[in-house]
Amino acid sequence: MSRHPRSVKPLAVLAAALGAVAWPVWPHVSEMGLVLLLPTEIYMAAGAWTVALTVLALALVPPRWAEAPFRPLTLARGPSGPGQQPGPWPSLATAALTLALIAAGLSGSRDPLGNPLPLAVWTVFWIGFVTLQGGVGDLWHWLNPWRGAAALIAGQGAPLLRLPERLGHAPAIAGLLIVAAFAFAHPAPDDPAVLAIAVALWWGASLAGCVVFGTEVWLARGEGLSALLRLFAGLAPWGGPGVRVALPGWRLLEAPAASTTAGLLALTTLSIGSFDGLNETFWWLALIGVNPLEFPGRSAIIGQTVAGLLSTTVLLWAVFAAAVWAGLRLARAEVTLATAFARLAPTVLPIAFGYHIAHYLTTALVNGQYVQAALADPLGTGWDPLGLGPVTVTTGFLNTPDSVETIFQVQAGAVVLGHVLSILLAHAAALRLIAEPRRAAISQIPLAAFMIAYTFLGLWLLAAPKGA
Amino acid sequence: MSKDLKPTAPNRRTALKVLGAGAAAAAMPGFVPYVQAQSSAPIKIGFQQHRTGIGAAYGRWYGRVTEAAAKRLNDMGGINGRPVEIIAEDDGTDPRRGAEVVEKFATRHECDLAFGTLFSHVVIGSSPRAGELKLPYFVVSEGHHVASGKLNRYTLQPGITDVKSQVQAMAPYVSANLGKKVTMIFPDFAFGHDHRDFFTAAMAAQGGEVIEHIAIPPTETSFTKYFPKIPRQTEVIYHVMVGPGVLTFVKEMGEFFGPSAPAIFGFIDSLEAVDIASPGLEFLEGSYFWEGMPRYAQADQTSHDKLYREAVGVDANGASMADGKDVSTFAHMFGCWETLHIIKAGMEAAGYAGPADRQKLIEAVEAMTDMPLSDAHPQGAKVFNGKTHQTFGHQYISQVKGGRLDLVHATSIEDTLYPDEVDYTKMSF
Repeated sequence: MSRHPRSVKPLAVLAAALGAVAWPVWPHVSEMGLVLLLPTEIYMAAGAWTVALTVLALALVPPRWAEAPFRPLTLARGPSGPGQQPGPWPSLATAALTLALIAAGLSGSRDPLGNPLPLAVWTVFWIGFVTLQGGVGDLWHWLNPWRGAAALIAGQGAPLLRLPERLGHAPAIAGLLIVAAFAFAHPAPDDPAVLAIAVALWWGASLAGCVVFGTEVWLARGEGLSALLRLFAGLAPWGGPGVRVALPGWRLLEAPAASTTAGLLALTTLSIGSFDGLNETFWWLALIGVNPLEFPGRSAIIGQTVAGLLSTTVLLWAVFAAAVWAGLRLARAEVTLATAFARLAPTVLPIAFGYHIAHYLTTALVNGQYVQAALADPLGTGWDPLGLGPVTVTTGFLNTPDSVETIFQVQAGAVVLGHVLSILLAHAAALRLIAEPRRAAISQIPLAAFMIAYTFLGLWLLAAPKGA
Repeated sequence: MSKDLKPTAPNRRTALKVLGAGAAAAAMPGFVPYVQAQSSAPIKIGFQQHRTGIGAAYGRWYGRVTEAAAKRLNDMGGINGRPVEIIAEDDGTDPRRGAEVVEKFATRHECDLAFGTLFSHVVIGSSPRAGELKLPYFVVSEGHHVASGKLNRYTLQPGITDVKSQVQAMAPYVSANLGKKVTMIFPDFAFGHDHRDFFTAAMAAQGGEVIEHIAIPPTETSFTKYFPKIPRQTEVIYHVMVGPGVLTFVKEMGEFFGPSAPAIFGFIDSLEAVDIASPGLEFLEGSYFWEGMPRYAQADQTSHDKLYREAVGVDANGASMADGKDVSTFAHMFGCWETLHIIKAGMEAAGYAGPADRQKLIEAVEAMTDMPLSDAHPQGAKVFNGKTHQTFGHQYISQVKGGRLDLVHATSIEDTLYPDEVDYTKMSF
């Protein structure tokens, strides 16, 4: 079974000359096979109809009804103004943990599913913590591994340099794209040693950013992961002052209008998630000239993956901006495109968050077991301080139609819920931009069409055959 | 650890003396040549594992079998009295990383050899580097690339048969029992083309005929439109579809034929690690599959099969003992077990003491011929061809009955033989 990737020409020629036979197999192939047997087109139609009906309902109900779910209920009163600044200790503890994980990456097991570093970064942090942050709120504000260290180095004095306002969130966008490019395009992002170096560089560079430009500024506009986490934290249902609760997203509406680059950052979180699904599909592999049944390995398609990530991002920016522009034209609204874009772009965050949950659910269910196995034997000596083991990792639930269908339903549910929430948020945001309700509703027509189409895309990404 | 565990490199004279002693000892029946045990440093075996990437489902099971085999070897006293240490490195199922991993084994981990690669493109990408580094490279890939002569003296496949012999050996049974007129349905790329070429020739040699070749584009996910191309006089359908569309393919083929289907023969590769009792696969009832090793324990299960399953943690249905739904890659993974046992036998025959003896190890394995059915070879007896660096062995044909696979035929080893295409022993080291 030879795989003769067209994009790796020398290999292709050699392999073709050999006439060798490849054994094409996929991780979780049975899951994908079972998903292909599900009536996924019905799920797609149902999801898109749900979103479309939400749009219709919003057009018909009085504006105050549309805004009501986002009006917070005050459970406890508290002082307004900036919240309490976190002390250095939680952050210093995370920094120490980060450094210990880097050391483990360099010197520990070479197994990406056994070494604690790749498990901590990709499963616990990227899948787990990002989800937690969106559900609970800004834990990262307390736990990021830079605040404490930066305070130790720079003290409480003024930052050395000012990060130019006109750059806005551009450094964070660039940073987030670098992280995504590393995750999707690097041949071995979960190799413990490779990842250790990457994390060390990232930690060091971000610490330097915090010291030079000030922690608050750098984590908000410079460091991509923190910026993403702060955006997702805005989706938590509760917030201050005191304790106030409403439908997730209300804090995005209460926040001061974002800048254009902050809007682009929000769209980038969505484009990254979408491309992470897209780049596994038969459709994408065929587009870049790769036979999906003989995937040549990540190292053969680095350029295509980076180009795909960047073009997906730019395309999404352009399509979203065009939808906002068309809406303003339709409604004859006297709002500038920049203002409307900055107000509306963050409303895609629930879509990005819903897709994050859906896309990583299977990986979380499998790799979560490896995390448990690692915790059950933290030193590789058989010592199990938490009494968690022994753990035998299984993927049997991906072999069973019932569990595969349940997983698919949860995934589809997360995607559809995310879109419904985004539609509601966008409508409420439009009412704040355009006072006259009828014109506000008209302005939402192109954006609603975009979101219905995106529902299809999100569900299709879950259901499409994949080969990488 | 402060203790220096590095083996002392023997000079040439001691090495020769030791070799002589080892060879003499190895010649004595029942004698375990522990004479080499002057060093307690482990034998380091670099395991090139598909831990991530498209081969991960296989890599997980190759890992379990490798661990189980290493444990058994160590329980038996190791190799030449030295413990066996498995050093696993993930290659991401990526040829370029594969070559890097081989290099790491040789230079960073100071492994004695590399082992365990499945995917052919990774073997093909890694083998040249192993040759340059003079690192013995024992692959478990089934590819014909070893026996075809395009690799090198340092690359061997002694623990698993190659696809050419597997496909060829199916023809006598198919033509004698299922029918002479065959329609082949295969994915339209090298993997499918190899099946097409090997099987078409083998059927002709048996007096049968492949009357239609239906090549399916790799991106296809619905197959109904291809079935009308199956000629009416077809007696046997030979399918080797792979990828996520396999279950859909089987379901749609069942819907197309209804109850009056021709005999159906396939390669278990299509459904490796997939539960045969999955819904949609009911149509496979009564159809036939090649299996490298029968997934379901048979009524006449050997003690070797039993021992192997227990050691690996696989039940009588070929699934994990910890989760009966977690179906293993049973038809292929025995190759890791057998290869590690062959490495032990080779090292002991060569009196292997360290990297300086790598050539001796290759020569010792090249000198091997018969490998009888045993705990070391639970899949069955094998005959190793030192010239082509490829092993030959029994192939199994099973029938789906009641949602499980029952063995109906084991081929002879002779059925699997074909003329040598290379003599690696004539290549210099």
